[in-house]
Amino acid sequence: MPESSSPDVVTFSPSVDTLGVDRDLVVADLGYRNGETPDMVRELVDELLPQLPSHVEIRCGFRILPSGSIDVAADSVTANGISFSMGPIIASQLKRSTSLALFVSTVGPQMERWSAQLMAEGDMMKGFLVDALASEVVERASVWLEQRVVDHVTPRGWKITNRYSPGYCDWAVSEQQKLFSLLPHQFCGITLTASSLMVPIKSLSGIIGLGPDVKRGAFQCSICELKDCYRRRDDPEPAKEKA
Amino acid sequence: MNELLESLTRCVERGKVDIKSPYPPDLKGQDGADEFARKALDAGIPPQEILSNGLIIGMQRVGERFRNKEIFVPDVLMAAKAMAAAMAHLKPFFQSDALKHKGTIVIGTVLGDLHDIGKKLVSMVIEGAGWEVVDLGTDVSPEKFLKAVDEHPGCVVGLSALLTTTMVNMESTVKHVKAKHPNVKVIIGGAPVTEEFALKIGADGYSSDPQGAVEFLNSRCTTN
Ligand code: B12
Ligand code: SF4
Repeated sequence: MPESSSPDVVTFSPSVDTLGVDRDLVVADLGYRNGETPDMVRELVDELLPQLPSHVEIRCGFRILPSGSIDVAADSVTANGISFSMGPIIASQLKRSTSLALFVSTVGPQMERWSAQLMAEGDMMKGFLVDALASEVVERASVWLEQRVVDHVTPRGWKITNRYSPGYCDWAVSEQQKLFSLLPHQFCGITLTASSLMVPIKSLSGIIGLGPDVKRGAFQCSICELKDCYRRRDDPEPAKEKA
Repeated sequence: MNELLESLTRCVERGKVDIKSPYPPDLKGQDGADEFARKALDAGIPPQEILSNGLIIGMQRVGERFRNKEIFVPDVLMAAKAMAAAMAHLKPFFQSDALKHKGTIVIGTVLGDLHDIGKKLVSMVIEGAGWEVVDLGTDVSPEKFLKAVDEHPGCVVGLSALLTTTMVNMESTVKHVKAKHPNVKVIIGGAPVTEEFALKIGADGYSSDPQGAVEFLNSRCTTN
């Protein structure tokens, strides 16, 4: 259920249990493949997972721009008079979009405190695993949120593209300033610093193209330039709600 | 080579902390870095030799295997823990001059950036290579870096950043520090940082991983 809604600004606070945080995915993101994960790491993740509910404060939400308010060019998108210079790779994924969903998600400030506290107490391993779990939770929250966008726009006969974030491909992180200027102040409790860092750290932002004729298109990893990224993965929701 | 030192090397490489530690499972119940360090000292092996020919060799293997993606962050953390258990026995010898660091690195995440873990990891591996690490934390201003350099004459500076928007603050930091200490060497790193960027801003070194930082320090920043 949406928590607050002006017609096209919607926020949610999903419980972590609904997100399907998967131990194996967390462990795979540490780099271990082929079942070579030390048992200790797996056991620690299993020990930490049930503690997540008392440390996360997941908030996520989106704003849908009015239909027809955007203009997609070869390497930029203009929305509400603001021009996003996202480069040709992302812009081409958005062609045929007639609107955009601007989204954010966060695990809240507590996770990083928990991680820092564990490390300060000398438990680097647990502190690090909490940090990794927080990354995974915010990713999952974003995948979950995508589905909420689908739910929201399906009645209008719209479909969605994949999600794309400032800082990827040729889209500068500094464009976060433009993105946040189109969102309510401290949306979902996130503040953007002058250096375009979101606080809490474990937060994600981005856009999703919308319209009757858009295609889900390329998943972010598949167009990402970090070819040897240890976290590279296949589309987490392969073609599930594909157009 | 001395058997005790070889055991120490192995304990660091495998992340075997002490006899109580159940990790790694195949070494359960056996002595760890803690016990072997004690035994090595009791056997009269000089602390410097324990460090250089035992512990540092173990950590170097860890750094190399991490670079080759044969092991991952948790393995590095266990190795650092084993190293620390052994170092607890050696620490007193730093005071008496029987043991010397190779040098000092002042490290921090630059102004505007709050990412900590990558820098912590680099710090641990550098420490394991016999260097003293002064970690200034995150969101560190150029002024704060300069102050630390003033306080640690002859040190090297390490800068970390995780976003392109904060990476630019590396440049002002390098300038600020080098204006007063032109001979101080600066190495930079972090996900968006490149060799090319390091050259452009006048840093002396770049590495995408901790072991590269160790190699830079050992080859370019030691006087002896
Ligand atoms: C996990 C992750 C996230 C997680 C967690 C972030 C975090 N760090 O806590 C989440 C999902 C929240 C996230 C969010 C974002 N992310 Co992100 N994220 C990553 C990812 C996949 C891994 C980062 C990580 O934790 N690595 C593990 C640690 C241990 O490694 P590390 O910090 O890099 O440190 C190592 C080296 O860099 C080096 N090193 C580090 N410091 C130093 C210092 C010296 C002196 C030396 C020698 C070496 C060195 O050694 C360390 C050990 O090997 C990277 C991509 C990648 N593969 O690196 C992108 C990445 C960092 N993210 C990126 C971006 C853009 C973002 C967002 C802006 C996206 C968005 N719009 O929402 C946000 C920003 C969040 C914010 N608060 O503002 C970009 C940044 C590039 C840029 N353009 O600036 C990256 C590089 C991905 C990319 N495709 O380019 N992200
Ligand atoms: S490959 Fe790119 S998009 Fe995928 S996890 Fe790594 S940095 Fe993120």
